Amino acid sequence: MTRKLSRLALWVIVLFPFGFILTLSFGQRWPYPRLFPQSWTLSNWIEIGQSGAGITSSFWLSLSLSLSVAIIATTLSFWGSRQIAFHPQKQVLLRFAYFPYVFAPVILAACLQYFFVRSGLYGQLAGVLIAQLCITIPYGLLFFSSFWNPKRKAMEESVYTLGGNVWQAYRMVLIPTARPTILTCFFQLFLISWFEYGLTQLIGVGKVDTLTLRVFQYVNESNIFLAALASVLLIMPPIVLLWLNKRYIFRLNTNKDLL
Amino acid sequence: MSYRMLNQWVGPIIFIALSVVPLLLGIGYALLYSLGLTGIINNGFTLAHWHTLLQDASFWETIGFSLVVALSTMVISIALALGLVLREPTRFQRPIPSFLMYMPLAIPAIVMAFFIFQMFAKGGWLSRIAFQLKIIPELQSFPDLINDNLGIGIIVSHILMAVPFLVLFFTNIYQNEDIDAYRKLAFTMGTSRKMSLWYVQLPMLLRPAQPTLFLYFLFVMGSYEIPLLLGSQSKQMIAVLTIQKMQRYNLADIPQAYAISVAYTVVVILLLYIMVWVSQKNRSYDP
Amino acid sequence: MNYLPVYILKGTLILTLTGLLGLSCSRNASDAPQVDPRNMPWEEVKQSANGQTVDLMMWMGDPQINTYMSQFVKPALQQQFGINLNIINGQGNTIVQTMLAEIQGGQKNSAIDLMWINGETFYQLRQINALWGPWTEKIPNAQYINFANPFIGIDFQQPVDGYECPWGNVQMALIYDSVKVDSVPASPSELLNYVKANPGTFTIDNQFTGLTFLKSLLINFAGGPKALDGPFDEDKYQESAAMLWSYLQQMKPYLWKEGKTYPEGVAPMHQMFATGELHFTMSNNDAEVDNKIRQGLFPSTARAYVWETGTIQNTHYMGITQNAKDKAAAMVAVNFLVSPEAQYEKMNPTVWGDGTILDLNQLPTEWQRKFARIPGRVHAPNRKDIQERALQELAPEYMIRLAKDFRTHMIN
Repeated sequence: MTRKLSRLALWVIVLFPFGFILTLSFGQRWPYPRLFPQSWTLSNWIEIGQSGAGITSSFWLSLSLSLSVAIIATTLSFWGSRQIAFHPQKQVLLRFAYFPYVFAPVILAACLQYFFVRSGLYGQLAGVLIAQLCITIPYGLLFFSSFWNPKRKAMEESVYTLGGNVWQAYRMVLIPTARPTILTCFFQLFLISWFEYGLTQLIGVGKVDTLTLRVFQYVNESNIFLAALASVLLIMPPIVLLWLNKRYIFRLNTNKDLL
Repeated sequence: MSYRMLNQWVGPIIFIALSVVPLLLGIGYALLYSLGLTGIINNGFTLAHWHTLLQDASFWETIGFSLVVALSTMVISIALALGLVLREPTRFQRPIPSFLMYMPLAIPAIVMAFFIFQMFAKGGWLSRIAFQLKIIPELQSFPDLINDNLGIGIIVSHILMAVPFLVLFFTNIYQNEDIDAYRKLAFTMGTSRKMSLWYVQLPMLLRPAQPTLFLYFLFVMGSYEIPLLLGSQSKQMIAVLTIQKMQRYNLADIPQAYAISVAYTVVVILLLYIMVWVSQKNRSYDP
Repeated sequence: MNYLPVYILKGTLILTLTGLLGLSCSRNASDAPQVDPRNMPWEEVKQSANGQTVDLMMWMGDPQINTYMSQFVKPALQQQFGINLNIINGQGNTIVQTMLAEIQGGQKNSAIDLMWINGETFYQLRQINALWGPWTEKIPNAQYINFANPFIGIDFQQPVDGYECPWGNVQMALIYDSVKVDSVPASPSELLNYVKANPGTFTIDNQFTGLTFLKSLLINFAGGPKALDGPFDEDKYQESAAMLWSYLQQMKPYLWKEGKTYPEGVAPMHQMFATGELHFTMSNNDAEVDNKIRQGLFPSTARAYVWETGTIQNTHYMGITQNAKDKAAAMVAVNFLVSPEAQYEKMNPTVWGDGTILDLNQLPTEWQRKFARIPGRVHAPNRKDIQERALQELAPEYMIRLAKDFRTHMIN
């Protein structure tokens, strides 16, 4: 009984913020001590649709940017972390991975801005992509560093013993067993890129107008109903993406057979 | 270069190019800026900015407060996440519960700050419920849960963001390291449930988790949006202070912002060394 | 179903690659030397602007303003002058940071042509020499602007000198809830009494608006309007600031959160006013109260007023960057922004409600009539009435000092 109750509580805690924010986005006038807004309206949605002409194109830009960052960074860091995990200089290299995070993120953006201006990548999609890779790849490397243990090494070795090549080792053994880890990492990196504001604003000079750049401003403004609406616009795409790919992502159990 | 050499070094080189190089450039630039050696608002070498900063008591308070907030967040979040995972380790391997844990990851810090503000403010949703239930007579008697000097609002927001992530993360490790097998092994050898928890499951979970946990600690310590909206100006967090110096009104404060970030980097590197040292010390007890 | 992710992946990769290639080719396309548009007849300036893109950086936090820009200004510039207006998001501090990076990085082609700026940004941009000028007298519609008006021609006690063109004019107003506040405090001493009687319901924000309010208090303690005009005066500051801090110290225990912290900007202050946690909020835009009631944020009982001691009147401007790609196009765009047509539309309370910077007496009679017929304000004060209570912005050093000393005296 307690277990059932605690499960229910978990559901409520997780889903509540989404419901609350979605509800607010349709609200108007919310004086104390009412629990819900006084009236309901679609006008917030209509207003933002009219004023932010180009939300759709921003959405596609964000989607392709974030997917690119997530794909490139996950691939490189999965592969790179394996190289590092079995590298003679493993400890030293792994310590380097912390480097981008020893800097306060806001200052990192200001310093990097200078170098991106210098290199001419400033104000461009390519610059933003590279800047985002700089913060996602080290994260991925650290994320995967716990994955490579002696057991994994032994599994890989056995592929070679059985006559397999590197490609087969990755395709048949390493990637399948790493799937849950890879997917968690992929989703994390996608989100880091999706919500990235500082670097994207400063290095893209607002010209690489991702969805986050477009609606982020509203979250900090005084109109809570528009803020809620902007939040919905930010949150929903990743969740929908997750839901659409659920069959692909949540086949976690099957890995047991492999282990 | 042989194929083997290539194979061995290409990965590290790409990674150094993308993570070490930008940082070294950045830190070099910040250091030069803080010493007055670069930047159009500077007029040549000076130690004045460092002098002001290191003598400023509120700077040290800010560093201390940031550490405390990050530490409290991590301790509470790790405890909660471990509680959820260890109670039933296979639970979050199942599709629906794991989807449920994935969902909150999609909430960015700024939205979380907004949500907590709407919940915990004196005129927020909790206060409205308390008023309707006649627990408080008026709005003003609701306790200060945000913009308070203890950082309650900041810590709560970060915990809500960290727990789902840590649950998924620990679940992955549990599966990866096949901890269940060791747990069963411990049982067959007559170990008590408590002993197995403390000496088998926890160490096996936490040791590989260390790098990511430390990274998350840094993420909380350097966070900006949440303390900006939910914090108090008499107890600031580091990023808020830096931006204040960087972007508020007085251009002459900008070199100080760079000095703060160099000082912050030194603190973080020290912490990193302590962490590495501790983990190596622990490792040396390994059989 | 399983193939969907694969398609998304492929699509993304192709998109990214084409994007990268396209961008790297289009770079530096406009490196050709520019002719100074100030030396060209206006007809030629217009011709050379045709087909150009103007990158305008501005604060985009208000949907009404965004709608005005994207639905009215942008199409008009495209149709009338063939100018493609590209609006990008960024507030004053982002503008300054971007300009600093460009100048320090030796960027010759600025990513931004035009910027919406306020006095404090103007001051900072002039310090780093990021503004191009003088140019404002060269645009035809400058004839309708009375630069001799100190509220327009002087920005933070600094003559604009043709480096920025006025775009809109607003005055600070206090906003209160008429249900909760029976009689509004008309002066600082009445405010102190109110706050003491109603603890926790008043505060000022920690940013621009709060500082603007502090400035009007400072002027009041210094002896009233014009007392602090001119360049920064240390002695006068010390004297009046001492009175200001002792006044605020008396108020501090009764402020929101006992004055230990202050809202980070007007946004949280507005939100707390909307729920009733605060009885007062304030705005640098005297028309904002109507706007916020219409959006369903403020209660319909909210009202705005300017107290007897007066509040700061502030003009916002358009500035062209020193390294703008196409200054001619930027000038044509600004000329349209200050045209009677665009100013009239902007002043309409249902559109934006921003005060015009045009001197109505100098306009053709037909436009004078149109401006006179703009629908009135509902709960915001009448502009003519508050004009008498308008205070001029102070030299920027006053704000820098107030911001610093506020931390020392009121927070730490």
